[in-house]
Parts: sequence; structure tokens; C-alpha cells
Amino acid sequence: MSNAAAMRPGRPALPEWVRRLPEYLMIWVPLLLSAAHLVSFSLWTIWISFTPSTLVPVTGWVGFRNYTAVAASRNWQIAFDNLLLFGSAFVLLSAATGLILAILLDQRIRGENVLRSIFLYPLAVSFVVTGTVWSWLLNPGLGIQKLVHDLGWTSFKFDWLIDRDMAIWTIVVAAIWQSSGFAMALFLAGLRSVDSDIIKAAQIDGAGPVRTYRRIILPSLWPITITVVVIQLQFAISTFDLVRALTNGGPGIATQLPALVVYDLMFQRSLLGRGAAAAVLMLLILLAVLLPYAAWRYIQRRRAAHA
Amino acid sequence: MPITTTRRRLLAGSAAALAFPHLARAQGAAKPRLTAISQWSAGSDGAAITALGKKFEEKGGVWQHSPVPGFTTEMMNKLRAQIMAGDPPACSQLKGPEIAAWSKIAPTVNLDALVAAAGYEKVVAPDLAKLHKPGGKWIALPLQIYSTNMLFLSKRAMDKAKADKVPVTWADFNDLAEKMKAGGVASPIANGGTRPDDGQKFEAALAGISPLAYRAAIMNLDKKALEGPEIKAAFAQLRKIADWMDPNVGAQHFSTNLKRFIDGDMGMMIMGGWAQGVLRNAGFKLEDFMITPGPSDNGKPVFLLNADAFIFWQRKEADLQAGQTLMAQLVMDPAIQTMYSQITGSIPVRTDVDLSGEGWSDGQRTTAKALKDAIASNQAVLSMAHNMAQENGMTAAMIDVITEYVKNKSIKPEQAATRLAEAVEGAR
Repeated sequence: MSNAAAMRPGRPALPEWVRRLPEYLMIWVPLLLSAAHLVSFSLWTIWISFTPSTLVPVTGWVGFRNYTAVAASRNWQIAFDNLLLFGSAFVLLSAATGLILAILLDQRIRGENVLRSIFLYPLAVSFVVTGTVWSWLLNPGLGIQKLVHDLGWTSFKFDWLIDRDMAIWTIVVAAIWQSSGFAMALFLAGLRSVDSDIIKAAQIDGAGPVRTYRRIILPSLWPITITVVVIQLQFAISTFDLVRALTNGGPGIATQLPALVVYDLMFQRSLLGRGAAAAVLMLLILLAVLLPYAAWRYIQRRRAAHA
Repeated sequence: MPITTTRRRLLAGSAAALAFPHLARAQGAAKPRLTAISQWSAGSDGAAITALGKKFEEKGGVWQHSPVPGFTTEMMNKLRAQIMAGDPPACSQLKGPEIAAWSKIAPTVNLDALVAAAGYEKVVAPDLAKLHKPGGKWIALPLQIYSTNMLFLSKRAMDKAKADKVPVTWADFNDLAEKMKAGGVASPIANGGTRPDDGQKFEAALAGISPLAYRAAIMNLDKKALEGPEIKAAFAQLRKIADWMDPNVGAQHFSTNLKRFIDGDMGMMIMGGWAQGVLRNAGFKLEDFMITPGPSDNGKPVFLLNADAFIFWQRKEADLQAGQTLMAQLVMDPAIQTMYSQITGSIPVRTDVDLSGEGWSDGQRTTAKALKDAIASNQAVLSMAHNMAQENGMTAAMIDVITEYVKNKSIKPEQAATRLAEAVEGAR
């Protein structure tokens, strides 16, 4: 647009940098602000994690004592195990659910727009609402179990919410309900972008629909799959509001997650130093996911440039 | 530029006021003003502090209360931010050992002269007074008292159990629970599933079994007491209580199940006195339930103290200082405490307030009498579950163990006792 304006006859051309000033302002100011914000607060948190801060930040140096204290606490150990379980189960299952929904929607069915909105709708609901609603649905005395009992099947049992070993799965269920629509939307876009000529060629060669999907369409989806997995993983690592509303870490401390531990240490127990250490540990977990992803992207791009 | 001149003059004026506070006071121009923060925004708590504000205004003050709704810790976050910005409120809600901890990060007001003038110290439970004068000087004032171990009995559940005697000891309590179970009460214990709920059941058990052991282990963190037989006995009693609870409550708030309690579907509730206010607000009648002190094996009432208080932060402004004086006088005033407790369902801090008059309930009278008796027999102790006995970090470490024990029936009482002692060591 700015180019068109500059080309208009009868007006002297503005210097390049003036013409592009709005673009620079639009991109660089927010980018610098958010980067400064993010980086400065991350550095601040890292610094606090090495100090003996409790109620308020103080200077001083305690080395790795906060880290060893956090790592040795039962809360953190349970949270870390839960994160491994929740993270892998949630990411795999939500990607699988999203993929199946996308394939089903891709069959040029009637009412696709309506269905797509329905599946995407949970994403518009806040996690606190999701958590609260599911906490009532899954409560054996009020929700699904009671409904089935009232219908006459009295031996039916579905008490995951209050079962210490199964409670973490209620979070998986609620999180999948919330975000498989998002995976579906990405997969659907991927399915639609597969070159229709290739599909037609496969059909001419006599490949059935199952074979077409398995051999042609799904292999072309894997860059999107990786995007979905990475986005969902970082969501899984930072999950907070959903658990807080659904189980609040309970029964007992069975469904602790790292973000809950950070909040608990910083704001419930007033142990800023330890809370910061737990936050830094979370950042490291996040980096363990994001760095390989960045490396993979880099390799992809180089390969594309060479091709 | 005239505006600058005015501003400069103003600045000079306020600098003078800062330099010579006695001058500002001498002029008598300072109208008492109070900036206050608390978590009390709604329900009976909100109504009570609003009423207090009205009284403050009647005395000619300017009342500036900013409630921070939600948990106490959220109010603390605001307080922390204000203190770090160098602009603390003149007065804020704070309680228990947190008073001592927070008083180290910002200067507070010495209230000794005001407390002495009101003769307040004589009428406050000694353990409670200690909390409000860390370092020997009064810097905070308790406002109202709750007991965290009152026993609420559902009349309908008592009818089902064909029982009319109020349990005194834990043996009586267990007996009654069995009778209720046999009489068709689905869950003899009414409860919520929150962390303080679980903590409360444990502290009620331990203090009821031995107030001495409670004082040594929980309040003084004595290592030998923490490994003593009373702790194991308390965990064993807690297991019984947990078995009588409805497991389905999950992480719900205790108030969710009040209807089932009144209906006799749940029998007994170990809860703070505030439950009375909640029951009344929910429209239940006082004759549907009974209130009695929590079980005590030596027969004399044990009172687990929970007290809300105000701490006063140092301010240089003359009007805020005048406001602090007025507020302190109001908080210690028996008439104000009466007004406040009658709204919230608590009992006054002052042990010399007469509760026989209209406006007080039987539950409040029972509670006040229990406090008096408990102080007399040295059985008034500080609540752990409600952050009166220890700072938040230590309390949370203890409740971690307790809440896991309540929900995980495979943990033995001995194991739980060991874990509690370990948790205390880890949080020290």
C-alpha cells in the first residue's frame, strides 16, 4: 500500500525509511518491549532463585540450596511424575483425537461449518470454567456416576476424581476436551493443503481411501503434527488454572503439577526463593522441549534452502 | 507560571509538615483518615467491616477500605506490593505468626500506650496477646475470635441415632458416630475436602487427646513431642474420622454439604464457629443443629484459637496517624467488638464482654464459655490449620502430610507421624 502511495504521480517520493516507519514501529516496539519484559523478568527470577528470599526479595547468595530443597520435596517429585504422565498422555491423545475429528470432517460432509464450530468451541471457554464444570461432572456423588445410578445401573463406578491413582486422568480428559478442537483445526488445514492432483493420481492408480490416507495424506501431515505436539506440550507444562479448578492438586497432593508448586511456594508459603527455583526448573523443562524443536526447524529450513 | 508556584508552595508546606509532625498535629487540622486493606468484601465479613467503617466515619474519620476478595494470601500479595513500593496501608488485616514475620520487612506502629490506656491486655487470652506483640510491643490488635474445633451436631442425625447426649470425649464421639451409621446416617461426618478442612480435623484430634502434646509438638515444634505417642493416636483418630466422611466431596468447600448435614444425611461437623454464620446466611434454623466444644479426653474444653487482627503500618502523614489512633481505639472498644461479632458469628476478643443479651446466639455463648474455661485450665491453644500456630510455610508442610493421610487410606498412623516429623524438619 505504501508503495502505491509513493508511486502516485505528482508527489515526491519519500525516503525509504520514512515510508517504512509505520512498519518498523509496528514490529519493533512491541517486540522489544515484550522481549525486554520477558528477558528481564526471567533474569530476575533466576537471580531470586539463588537468594534466601522469603516474604520479599532480598539480596544474598545461597547457591543451589533452593534447588535442592525443591527437588527433594514430595510435592515437586509428585508434580514432576505427574507432568511426565499428563504431558505425554495429553499430547498423544489430544493429537489423535484432533486428527480423527479432522479426517472425519474432511469427508465433505454437510454441516461441516457447524460441526467445526462445535468442536472448536471448548477452546473459547476459559480453563477455570472447564475445570469447574468437569469437577461437577466427574464428582461421583453429583455427576456422571450418579446419573447412571439413577438410571438403574447401580454397580456402575466412575470415581476417578476422588481416586488418588486415577485423578490425574481426569485432568487429561478435561484438557483433551478443551484443546483437541485446536489440534483438529490445524490438522484440517493440513489435510486441505494436500495437493489434490496427487490424490487424484492415487485414485486413478486404484488406491482405496484407507490406502490414500495411509500412504499419501498422513505422511504429508507430519510437519503439522510436530507443531501440534510442541504447542500442546508447552501448554501441558504450564497447566495451572485447569488443575486448580478441577482437583486443586488433590486428592491430597496426588495431582500436583509444577506450576501449582511454584504458585504454592511463592504465594501460599511465602518462600520466594524456593518458588523462583521451581519456576526456573519449569523453564528448563520447557527449554528441553523447545530447543530440539528450534533445532529441527533450523535443519528443515537449511534443507529447503539447499533443495 | 502560577501553577508551579502553587505546587512549590504546597511542596514546601508538606515538607514542613514532614519535618515537624508535632506542628501539624498541634494545628489540629488533621482529620483522621485510614487506608486499610483486608480480604473481607462480601457476606457477613463484608457487612461487619462496612459497619466498622460507618462507626469510624461517625467519629469524624475518613474511611478508605480497599478489600481484596479471595484467599488471605491474595490480600497478602497486595500488601507485599504496597510495602515494597514504600506505600503501606495505614492498617491491614494480618494474623497469627505472620504478624511477627511481616513486621520485620516494614516498620510498624507501637500501640503500647493506646493498649495500656484501654486496659486491653488484661482481657485478652495470653497466647493470643503474645502473637500481637512480637518483640514485646503491641503492633497489631486482635478483632474477633473463632474456635476451629467446634462440634456441630445435626438434630435429625441425632434423632436417627436415637441419641440425645452431646459427646464430650473422643470415645463418646466415636460411639455416637457408630450409632449414627447404624441408624442410617449415610456419612456420620460432614466435611469439605479443602486443605484447612483436613488440617482442622487433625488439630482437633490431637488437641482433644492432649492439649499439652499439641502445645509442645505443633506450637513449639518440639522434636520429642513430634515423635510422641499422642501424634500417632491423633492420626489413628483422624483415620476413623476420614472413614466416616463422604469420600465424594472431593475438593469441595464444606458449605456445599450443609443441606445434607441439616437433613440428617450427614451427622457431625468439626468446623470453626464461622459455620454458624454460614448456616444462618443459608437460611437454616438454629434449632436444626447444636454447637458444642470439640471432643476433649480430659473432659475440660479445648479451644483452638483463630483470631483475625489488624496490623498498623508506620505512616508519616498526620491524618493517617490520627486515623490509626482512632481505629485502634475502636477495635478495642467492647461495643464495637459486640457489633462486629454479632454480624460475623464470632466471639469478641475481650473476655469481659457479656454475651447473655439479645443478639447473641447459644452457639456464641457456648463458644465464649469454652474459651473462658479453656483459658482457666490452660487449654486454649493456637490453631495450626488456620495459620495461628506457625508461619504459612511450616503450616503448609504439615498439612501436606495430613491431607495425603486423609485421602490415602494405605498410610499407617505410625508412617504419618514419621512423615510429619520429617516435614517439620524439612521446613524449619
